[in-house]
Amino acid sequence: MVNRFDCLKQLALLLDPHALTVTSRGGNAREWAYLRPDGANFHSLNMGTCMAFSIGLALAFPKRKVVAIDSDGSLLLDTSALVTLGDVNPPNFLALVFDNQVYANMGPTATARGADLARMAQGAGVKSASTITTDEEFAAAIKPALEATELKFFVLKSASGRSNVKINSRLIHGRPMLERFITALEKHPDYTAK
Amino acid sequence: MEPEIVAKIIATLKAEGIDLVVTLPEEPTAPLTEAIRRDSHFTSVTVANENNGISLCAGASLGGRRCIFVTGIAGLLVSTWSLSQMGILYGIPVLIMASYRGDVSDRSGISGAQLFMFQQLAEPMLDTLRIPYRVIRKKADLEREIRDSHGACRDYGTPLVLLLTGEVLW
Repeated sequence: MVNRFDCLKQLALLLDPHALTVTSRGGNAREWAYLRPDGANFHSLNMGTCMAFSIGLALAFPKRKVVAIDSDGSLLLDTSALVTLGDVNPPNFLALVFDNQVYANMGPTATARGADLARMAQGAGVKSASTITTDEEFAAAIKPALEATELKFFVLKSASGRSNVKINSRLIHGRPMLERFITALEKHPDYTAK
Repeated sequence: MEPEIVAKIIATLKAEGIDLVVTLPEEPTAPLTEAIRRDSHFTSVTVANENNGISLCAGASLGGRRCIFVTGIAGLLVSTWSLSQMGILYGIPVLIMASYRGDVSDRSGISGAQLFMFQQLAEPMLDTLRIPYRVIRKKADLEREIRDSHGACRDYGTPLVLLLTGEVLW
């Protein structure tokens, strides 16, 4: 199993400041907002909307890396986004799906019963989809993935339950978060909607 | 949908700077989405579920890409989850063009009970989601309604639906 916080920490260290990121709700959002407090980060998208929203951003910023930080429960709600991802095949897109096999502390997701999101993605046309099960594998894969000029998709098998990391910063949700995101976009060299 | 209407919509979308069109094909708007697919001006994305079509358009629109989602009433019903998130929660502008299935002029052959369900739900659903909409029946109104609605959805900060019916659609 990978440690989500450690993986995100590595991502934050390597990520281009002009890259755009999108997260689903829960631990992904809380930890990523702490690790990358500045920049164009749209976080806490509700279940089943993170992947498709990120594809839209990738189509708006074709010269910038867009990183979708999704989760098993969120992606399972709308797996047809995998078909869209395979169809659109955005070359500037990196998907990191943290798969802890549970809905927070409420019970197992289908990946705990044998559903395989990487194979589902492959079947939907995302040729690069693969599963990462250790921190070492992630460390070897993340830099080339960020430098790649083709779609990359990783399912990261992670430990269930909340991370033990103490995060004191308060997560900003909804429209205040959106305003921060737009402010970051407006400083972005490729932003055209001014 | 007549070729003249298809041409008018495409010309107006181009004039508005819209170059990304997202759809899940449905019968009444199929001539339009097929023509768009053949037009190299547009990036055309075909989704498998309208919910992720709305999410995709919201991401693109927020990023400054001018886009439109083409669907029908059934598609709007499927996409209510994303519409509630992108509309009520975030106020992201998304222009939507939808065939007004179930309107009195719908003679597409689906069952009357289905048509009546669409007719019963379409406008109350949009009202519940607090999504403004315009019903376009006349060919003469089409261009102005598209242009005004595109501007308004960006100014208001909301999804906005153009419901096509009457001589525009049937």
